[in-house]
This record gives sequence, C-alpha cells and structure tokens, in this order.
Amino acid sequence: MSYLQRLKDINAKYGMFHAMTDETDAGESRFLFSAKDNLTSLDMETCAGSRILQGYVPAFDAAAIERMKAAGGMLVGKTNMDEFGFGTFSANSAYEIPRNPFDRERSCGGSSGGSACAAAVLEGHVSLGVSTGGSICCPASFCGVYGIAPTYGRVSRYGLIDYGNSLDKIGVLSAKASDLRKYITIMAGRDERDPTSCVQPELKSERRRMKSVAVPKDGIQGLSGDVEAAFNDSIETLRSMGIDVEEVDMPSFRYAIPAYYVIATSEASTNLARYVGMRYGVQEGDLSLKFDDYFSSIRSASFGDEAKRRILLGTFTRMVGYRDRYYAKARQVRQLVIDDYKRILQDHDAVLTPTMPYVAPRFDEIERMSALDSYKTDYLTVPPNLAGNPHLSVPCGYDGNGMPIGMQFVGAHWDEDVLFTMAEEWEKAFDMRRPEVEA
Amino acid sequence: MDRETVERVARTAHIRLTEEELERYSGDLGDILGYFELLDEAPNCDSYGIDPIGVADVTRDDEPRMTIDADRLLRDMNTYERYVRGPRLS
Repeated sequence: MSYLQRLKDINAKYGMFHAMTDETDAGESRFLFSAKDNLTSLDMETCAGSRILQGYVPAFDAAAIERMKAAGGMLVGKTNMDEFGFGTFSANSAYEIPRNPFDRERSCGGSSGGSACAAAVLEGHVSLGVSTGGSICCPASFCGVYGIAPTYGRVSRYGLIDYGNSLDKIGVLSAKASDLRKYITIMAGRDERDPTSCVQPELKSERRRMKSVAVPKDGIQGLSGDVEAAFNDSIETLRSMGIDVEEVDMPSFRYAIPAYYVIATSEASTNLARYVGMRYGVQEGDLSLKFDDYFSSIRSASFGDEAKRRILLGTFTRMVGYRDRYYAKARQVRQLVIDDYKRILQDHDAVLTPTMPYVAPRFDEIERMSALDSYKTDYLTVPPNLAGNPHLSVPCGYDGNGMPIGMQFVGAHWDEDVLFTMAEEWEKAFDMRRPEVEA
Repeated sequence: MDRETVERVARTAHIRLTEEELERYSGDLGDILGYFELLDEAPNCDSYGIDPIGVADVTRDDEPRMTIDADRLLRDMNTYERYVRGPRLS
C-alpha cells in the first residue's frame, strides 16, 4: 500500500482522481479503494464531472462506499469521469481528463475512465465504477483491466448521482480477476434505501464453470483488424479450455443503440432538472431574478456541451407528439433485447463479443468525432445494459502499439457466479501486461 | 431539427442557448434523430415495462426519521436563518 505516499505524483501524470486523500499511511485499513465521482462520499468533494456540482461536499457516503469502508477499505480518491456519465472517453468533463496508462495521448474510455486508470496503474487497487450504457466494460477494455457491471439491482444505488435510473449499475474494476467476486460480494445485498436492490436473490459463489458461449453475428461486425484478430485468437483459447463457441442470431442487437439513447437521455433530462443552483453545488446566481431566469442562467453557464445535448434530446423525445414514436418504441425494443438474451441464455452460459470495436483512440481522433459517431461506438456494450444483464470485460489481447483489447461476457440475470469463474480461469490462461507506471 | 424546435425544447429544459449553440445542436440533433429512424423498422412488442428486472414495492412505517444531521446539510447551502435561499417566484 506504499503508493499512498506517491499518490499526488502519480495523479499528476495520469489525472485519474478529481479528489483524493491527504493520508499517507493506510493505518489499520485492510485495502485501498477509489470510487467514481458520481458516488457521494462523506467529506470528500463529489462533482460527477460537472461544474454545476462544484463545491458539493456530501454529508453521507453512498451505500456502496459505506459497505466497502465497513469491510475495512480506505477511500483514497474520487475518480474523474464524463459529466454525469455522458460519454465514452471521459473527455466530456469540467475537470481533468484521465490519460491512458499505456499511452497518455489516448483515452481511458468512459465514463468510468478514472476508475479504470486507477485499477491499471495502482498496485493492488480496486475501483468502483458505474455503468449505464457500458461505462465499466469500455474503460476496462481500453485500460487492460477486468471490470464487471453486475445485474441491475444487485448493488444498492443509494447515494449514486443518477444518470438513467432504469439503467444505472455500480460495479468493480481491478487488474486482478478475483477482486470482482470479492468486492461485488461485499457490496451486494438488499438495501431498503434503494427498492430495486430488494428483489435480488442471494449472490451465489459456487464457482460454476462456463461450458458454452454464444457469439451474436451482429456483434462481430464493424471491428478494427486488431480487435477482430485478438477476438478470434481468444475464441480458440476458449475452445482449448473446453468451452463451446457458437454463432447465433440476435435480431434486436441492431436496434439497441437508438433505443438506449432515447431511454437514457429521457431519464437523464428529468434527473438533471434538480440542478438549479440551490441547495448544493454552484449557488452563485443573482437571487433577485425570477426563478425561470435564475434557473436558466445557472444551468446554461454550468452544464457542459454533452450534458446540454442530452438534456435537449431527452426532453424532445418525451414531448407530446413525439413520445410514442421515440420513448414508447424504445421501451418495446428494450423488451425485445431482454427476450433475445433470455432465449440465447437458455442454451448458453454467456453471450460473447469484443468489448469495444477498436482500441483506445487518441484525443485528437476523439475531437474529430461527431456526437453520433461517439454514440455508435457503444454498440457492443449497450445491449446488456439495456437488458440489465451482468456483463464482464476481460483483457484478451494487444494491438501493434501495445494498446489493450477486451472481450465481454454477458450472463443471465443474477448469474454473476459463472462470469466471475470465467474471469478467474481466463486470468490463468492469458498473459496480461501491466503498464509501466511513470511518477 | 429546426432552430425553432431546438429553442422551444431548450426553453422547456431551462437552458439558454447562444446563436452558435443553436446552430450546432440543430445539426447534431438532426443527425441523431435521423439515425433514430432505425426504431421505425424494429418489430413491435406487446409487453414492456420500465425496469429490466421485476421490481417489488418496498414500504416502511410512515414515521419521520432523520438519518443525516440537518445542520450538516445546511452547512454548504445558501441560507438565511436556516431557510434555503432561492430566487423570486414572481
């Protein structure tokens, strides 16, 4: 746990933390962890990447952080992220943009980019991430670490700054596969403060081995050459481990992106209505203004570009005259995706695709992307998030520049056990590289 | 999306846009909604809900309780004599 003394120097190189501890001694702590900055943390500033929350120091810990602390963990930092989770590269932020541990000119992925960076750079570290449309698996893939978003409702979201309530899930990122089981087990369980956590069955730890995976044909389209090659090699490794691999049809796959962006932005636009320059965060407006003008002035000055875009989109798709075409249809597509996973997972233990279609892009490449280009990048991680299925990314290769590539296993609702076991088995078969840490 | 619609949506969402933003979001949202037309091709589905898993009602006794100290909450708020300050209503 010696990195505590070097934490500020390491952060100066990689920019993974928005806020961090001043402690240099772990004391009696059993482990060190960090958490995405959209999880409230007692007496440690929490901004969720947004200027509108600048200065917000919560009076309570999120349930996930509370449970990690109760298990002997010490919270060392809050990790940088896209504003409210709105992004794929952690570049949509009012604060620092985390830099990829394998090449600092490239993105860590998003929106839990700072968490993936911390997991990759800090020895023996575990970081909490949050996934709405792929925000754990994407950065895990780009930074070459393991990451899991458990079943929707597995971990209490009390204290989570919501993006999309029907989609948000709290999970874990780590360079060590066995950490996923260990820390999800600590955080899982019912919590009356989040009713969606109260229907969950017990989290099993039977170490059930995966016997067969299904690869949707649409999930292997549009890949870069390096990702395709690494994925094909990984399939051969899985077969050598005794796992059957079969290509399947998943007709709903191609509709998942528009359905997700309609639902997620609809929910986001209502969630963000609470940020009006009162009670917390930025409160520096002119109170002599009428409330409409006051709220608009604070929101216009304090929300970032992507937050405004998603608020506009989500407000529009819920408006009278458009609601049936967009919001109601998106909910139907969501059900089709859920049904497709249920059908396929009757005969297989997991659905497998690469995690991302390409390796971490450079920041200059990201600047040239349109908003729509960026949204489309999520086509592999969005389907399991829409369906609420647990999904886990493992590192599975490296491109010619040494950038990590990941693949994603999607399990049935509440069946995290088979995913954990797969990651633990995979860790023995795969030659994982750690970045050379500069500080 | 035309500029008038963008302006109307922004007003609803309490966001003021500059001329440059109006122009840019008009183009971006037009592209995004064009892509969303893919939804028109998707089959219909009779059953659908809000949450991806079944969610049960969780209730507790309707008794007041305070788990966070009110003074601690007020510490970071803009207040006047322990009242949260806000803008004019009219």
